Amino acid sequence: MERGLRGANAELGDEDDRGRAYLGQELPGPIPSNQSQARGIIHAYQTGDIALGNTTSMGRWEIVGSFFFSVSTITTIGYGNLSPHTMAARLFCIFFALVGIPLNLVVLNHLGHLMQQGVHGCARRLGGAWQDPAKARWLTGSGALLSGLLLFLLLPPLLFSHMEGWSYMEGFYFAFITLSTVGFGDYVIGMDPSRQYPLWYKNTVSLWILFGMAWLALIIKLILSLMETRGRSYSCYRHSSKGDFQPRSWRQGPEGEAERHSPRPGCYPEGPGGARPPSEPSAQDILDLSGVDSGTRGCAEHRAVSG
Amino acid sequence: MGGLRPWARYGLLIVAHLLALGLGAAVLQALEGPPARQLQAQLRAELATFQAEYGACLPTGALEELLGTALAAQAHGISSLGNVSKAGNWDLPSALLFTASILTTTGYGHMAPLSAGGKAFCVVYAALGLPASLALVATLRHCLLPLLSCPVAWVAVRWQLTPARAALLQALGLGLLVAGIFVLLPALLLWGLQGDDSLLEAIYFCFGSLSTIGLGDLLPGRGRDLNPVLYHLGQIALLGYLLLGLLAVLLAVETFSELPQVRALVKFFGSSGPLTAEDQGGILGQDELALSTLPPSTAAPEQAPAC
Repeated sequence: MERGLRGANAELGDEDDRGRAYLGQELPGPIPSNQSQARGIIHAYQTGDIALGNTTSMGRWEIVGSFFFSVSTITTIGYGNLSPHTMAARLFCIFFALVGIPLNLVVLNHLGHLMQQGVHGCARRLGGAWQDPAKARWLTGSGALLSGLLLFLLLPPLLFSHMEGWSYMEGFYFAFITLSTVGFGDYVIGMDPSRQYPLWYKNTVSLWILFGMAWLALIIKLILSLMETRGRSYSCYRHSSKGDFQPRSWRQGPEGEAERHSPRPGCYPEGPGGARPPSEPSAQDILDLSGVDSGTRGCAEHRAVSG
Repeated sequence: MGGLRPWARYGLLIVAHLLALGLGAAVLQALEGPPARQLQAQLRAELATFQAEYGACLPTGALEELLGTALAAQAHGISSLGNVSKAGNWDLPSALLFTASILTTTGYGHMAPLSAGGKAFCVVYAALGLPASLALVATLRHCLLPLLSCPVAWVAVRWQLTPARAALLQALGLGLLVAGIFVLLPALLLWGLQGDDSLLEAIYFCFGSLSTIGLGDLLPGRGRDLNPVLYHLGQIALLGYLLLGLLAVLLAVETFSELPQVRALVKFFGSSGPLTAEDQGGILGQDELALSTLPPSTAAPEQAPAC
């Protein structure tokens, strides 16, 4: 069935009238009963059980398909190629997501943090060798950005087009929609029953999702913190001089302490290079924003601690 | 537990993450596998009777090909059976809902772009729109969080609560408020309007939307013969619900993540270690860069038996 997928796209386009006429013409005999039976089959397909032809292990509720569903749930991608129907499974999904999404966020958060530290380490060594820390930081930053772009967005579509038979653009579309956690589900890996998928393929894709999401969230975090740094570095100065501190030390952002001390220069107006190290990277926008926002309070808090 | 090296703690977290995934997969397989197989058998029987009755009139494989085409079209949101509103798939409210599902990264997938130009536009739109909407949410948060802490501050003063207690109260109160207003209430509304679905399904849908998983299997009003005006109103309502609800959830999660207990937990598992000065951070960074290869190696053997 999945073989006909791409051909069907080309045939039907987006004219549902044509699709209706096509169906009416093809089926002989009493149309109402044919339609009702076909409707029943389509309804069953709609509810998530592919019954025609063969399915791959990804399309069935076996260990591989269920594992992939769990991954797509806790990363909030949510493809929808498989979705639970029994009440018990749906209830379990809710609690599983309530626990798994924060867990995933913390894991990815720290992964992004490790990546960022790696980049900073390179920048420091390069800066020491060149005696130009700002330039080294800029170079390693853009190098990290470009290599991440290559590794996570530009090269994987080649793998997908080889394994799945998609074009490069379709593979890129899939890669982007997956990593941004939108996850429409119109393209899903491993769903073509006419293809053989080696063992390492699915594992590699899971790793790619993990690292790619951490990298993408890191990039978004960096962009946001760059935008905020320009505005905040001056207001931070103002805050400290006004002595406007509330006893809100408990409102400091997560994992704040380690980097709070190092950007001591960050409290002073930075040059256009934006040399202040960005705040904690996060996996998703949720912790993302908290890290960014706590910079303000962290700055004021730091002055309160040291002053 | 506290005596473990930081990377060991993080490794433990990775293992917990993988175990959670495995547990989810196993439970879902157990819950969904048998009903799916049952339905599959039922469908095969239905197909067999259909073939037996009308098989003589049909050329071999024609029915499978036709149904494959219809199902493929269904996967892209084009319903080929029954009465569908003549307004088509991509009228303004549907398109608005689609763009909202991109920007919130929910990605229901009930509609997906078919043309190459549409896919390319989706990628560009998401690449630009996601950081923009994150920045917007960050700005809104700046304004709204102080507003939210006002009533709590008042209560804290009245009841002589410590700041930690007040923070806990604020987080719990906000969490309950968001759960009540944005999950329970809409679920009750949906349940009342739809009638034949259970309350749990409505809650499952609301939760899936707000957590941005967005499986898209339970979109209200799909596949029913609704008055087009009502259907479009429903879509606009869903759009508003998505945007407002997500903002509320982000605020609640931000409040929770700033609780000292949560921060301590996150720091325990995710932090890179004690407070470091700028230069010491360099050495630590190198350590962690080398040791960051540890988590993936624990990942691979976990996944191999699964496949």
